Amino acid sequence: MSDEMTCSQVDELAGAFALGALDAEEQAALRAHLISCDQPHLEVRDALGAGMLLAESLDPVTPPPALRDRLMATVERTRQEHRPTVPGSPLAARRSWLDWLSPGAARPLALAAAIALVAVGVWNLSLQSQLGQRDAALRAVANAISGGDVAFRVDGSAGRGYVVDTPGEGAAFVVADLADLPADRLYELWLIDASGAPEAVGTFNATDDVVAVVRVERDLTGYATFAVTVEAERVSAPSSSPVMISDLKALQPT
Amino acid sequence: MTVSATLHDDDGLLAQRIRSGDRIALGEVYDLHASAAMAVALRIVADREGAEDLVHDTFVAIWQKIDRFDPARGSLRSWILTIVRNRAIDRLRGTRPSIEIGQADERSMLTSGPNPTWDDALAHLGADQLRSALDELPAEQRQAIELAYFGGRTYREIATLTGVPLGTANGRLRLALARLRQLLQQSDAAPIGVRAGDDR
Repeated sequence: MSDEMTCSQVDELAGAFALGALDAEEQAALRAHLISCDQPHLEVRDALGAGMLLAESLDPVTPPPALRDRLMATVERTRQEHRPTVPGSPLAARRSWLDWLSPGAARPLALAAAIALVAVGVWNLSLQSQLGQRDAALRAVANAISGGDVAFRVDGSAGRGYVVDTPGEGAAFVVADLADLPADRLYELWLIDASGAPEAVGTFNATDDVVAVVRVERDLTGYATFAVTVEAERVSAPSSSPVMISDLKALQPT
Repeated sequence: MTVSATLHDDDGLLAQRIRSGDRIALGEVYDLHASAAMAVALRIVADREGAEDLVHDTFVAIWQKIDRFDPARGSLRSWILTIVRNRAIDRLRGTRPSIEIGQADERSMLTSGPNPTWDDALAHLGADQLRSALDELPAEQRQAIELAYFGGRTYREIATLTGVPLGTANGRLRLALARLRQLLQQSDAAPIGVRAGDDR
């Protein structure tokens, strides 16, 4: 068959094409024709997707639970091809803040932010300067297996990291792979108590740094949730749903 | 109603969540579609360990390349099953992946947009009904489409394997799909828009 196909040849091979039953040369020629042809090629259109019928006619086969664990472990260390972005407008959020805080709606995110309690190294360096904060936070995370303080895993669409707390000495949010933001937006940090009342505890702008370190204006004791939203300016009540969240319940008094 | 019907409306949202880096969303997609993907992989490679590897690799690819998924072209489920099928066929043939993931849905090349018949029918028919439709095909047509889809055979190879002229092998594939579509249109369970007599 020549490199170029006619419309009738394409239609003739519609079934084989739809089922992946062309050789590489024919398949390439047919693809090239479809891309350049302005005819609707209804026979091809009707045939494509038919293979799904064969796939769906099979009885499902449940994979072993270990396969899911293996997948999630792989994904944990696998970067996506694109860089995540965060919706810029709070008005674009599909759910209200209260929706996210209600137990049913908040549960998936709370699970997503499942506490990763890790012991961290001594958190006693000065938070007076950006460099000091950064050094201290990075050291704390780097020493995460040897100290007595705690860090909570923070997860969400905008990035991932830890919020690190040493009661009496303040807290910091360490975040990696932070998503881009429009120039007129900033990230705002929140601590939320068990009743759902949010308290603003800092803002920061998007950064190109691989790891960003942000001071949290309160320590975490007594709060149930740490969250990050996207806002136009620092506000006293969040206007959009969280883009990152962490469950702090382990710090609640028992 | 099948799983795919329940989920089709949520595909865009799930894809958006995965695109934003939400690994929980990928887990949800896995929970919904892994058993179907496993069935396809196992049917093709006939090796449980190999099938598990294929399912794993498919969902890792979904995670990495989710921005290639366009819900306007079809369901997330059909995208996933197409990818796992193509990868399984590549493994069967002992070849490197021959189809890029972005091309996994051939419907992207059509100027007229996809025909919803198959997705719609799959959304409303169970596996038993789909098997019944397949059982109504003449044996040689069913053999041809199964050799093509599950065996990764080209119509030229099917002609050789079954001892028929090329035109006959190709014709069987073409006729089988036309017949299946007709059977689905006649099904009581088919949705409005794909029943016999409905205009497309």
